[in-house]
Amino acid sequence: MRAQLFFASLLVSLPVAAFDLGGFGNIDLEKAAKVVQKVQKANADINEPQEIDLGGGIASNLLGAAPLWDNPPVQRYVNKVGRWLALQTERPDLPWQFGVLDDDDVNAFAAPGGYVFITKGLLARMNNEAELAGVLAHEISHVLRKHHLQALKKGARSELMSDLANDAIKSQGGDPRLSKLVSAGTEIYARGLDKQDEYEADRMGVVIAARAGYDPYGLPAVLQTLQSINPNDSNLALMFKTHPALGDRLSLLDGLMSESLADSEGQPDLAERFAIQLKVK
Amino acid sequence: MMNKLSLSLLLLVVASSAWAGDAAYTIRATELKVKPYGDAEVLRSLPARTKVEVLKRQSSWTQVKAGTTSGWVKMLSLQLEASATGRRSDNGLSALFNVATTGRGGSTVTTGVRGLSEEQLKNAQPDPQALRAAKKYAASRAEAKRFADEGKLQSHDVDYLSGGR
Repeated sequence: MRAQLFFASLLVSLPVAAFDLGGFGNIDLEKAAKVVQKVQKANADINEPQEIDLGGGIASNLLGAAPLWDNPPVQRYVNKVGRWLALQTERPDLPWQFGVLDDDDVNAFAAPGGYVFITKGLLARMNNEAELAGVLAHEISHVLRKHHLQALKKGARSELMSDLANDAIKSQGGDPRLSKLVSAGTEIYARGLDKQDEYEADRMGVVIAARAGYDPYGLPAVLQTLQSINPNDSNLALMFKTHPALGDRLSLLDGLMSESLADSEGQPDLAERFAIQLKVK
Repeated sequence: MMNKLSLSLLLLVVASSAWAGDAAYTIRATELKVKPYGDAEVLRSLPARTKVEVLKRQSSWTQVKAGTTSGWVKMLSLQLEASATGRRSDNGLSALFNVATTGRGGSTVTTGVRGLSEEQLKNAQPDPQALRAAKKYAASRAEAKRFADEGKLQSHDVDYLSGGR
């Protein structure tokens, strides 16, 4: 990265020197400028429409792995909670899309551009709407901070991310290189994000829930519940593998929340609405 | 007599939240308080690793029974006991969802192509039709606001917490 920038500034300064000395007339100014542009673009981020297209591909893969739960009322309910949370953030108007996956695994997923999924297995272990809000807000935070895009930029497909940013890959139109990028994006779920990204999503998630008017202790309550599940339960295997230890996440939140979120204590957890929305039909 | 009966029934209903009856222990010395407030009267001090029974949670506080004394402790000074079956963390909805609370080890077959295991995610095939179906359920700004109003949820300005990164 630094080497590239240095190279770029060198290219900028060279032609100027060439004029001064008059001896490097064969350097093509226009060509040099193009190289500079390309180097700059390689370090640029993909734009929002590209982010949304890439995220849609990853979300489509995720739905290929686990189907959407066929329960329209619950799907609509989760979308309303999620969208209300997203409205409290710096990216309120992404095409936010939430969903419950029909799977017993205990996990939740975010994809770039505003896609958020939780499993039925995780939903089944929640006690109120504030807990649901806490988990969705954690996932929303991954989207806000573009954690998956950063993981892709650092990964084996980083050159494809540059090509996408550079418009060398069109995000729509079935370029096979885009499929490779989508596959790499899906594999991040199997590998997990950076530990620090998870802690950041926890810190942001409790704040977003508090902004939305919920009891901010929903997320730590869910984490505490998960602590009580037998760690050998295979439904938790991937979540445990891809996230920092629950005890560490809880103790970090504990220190921060007792200082800064005291004013939000006593906000509703909407346990009744949650129970009604998820009741047996 | 009748009043007492209905009162105890009411208490039973109130106490039957999902965590009621969970076993937990304190992960540090903590104060057992009369009410769930920082400045509430202290009933007694619980040393680390005191076993308690969970009655219910309210924001950052959990109501517990320590021996014969009931009171409130900070929720995050507790750790719930891991249960062999996972049943304790079950809110009752899992029966409705047919979630296998004992995990996938026993009779539950998981050899299907689809699923959220590491291997299955690596080999996932796209399902654009399912994505289109999911989009039907998206909520608009206006719907989300109406939903918040119905729940009496009010938005507040709260700054993000810095984590010293």
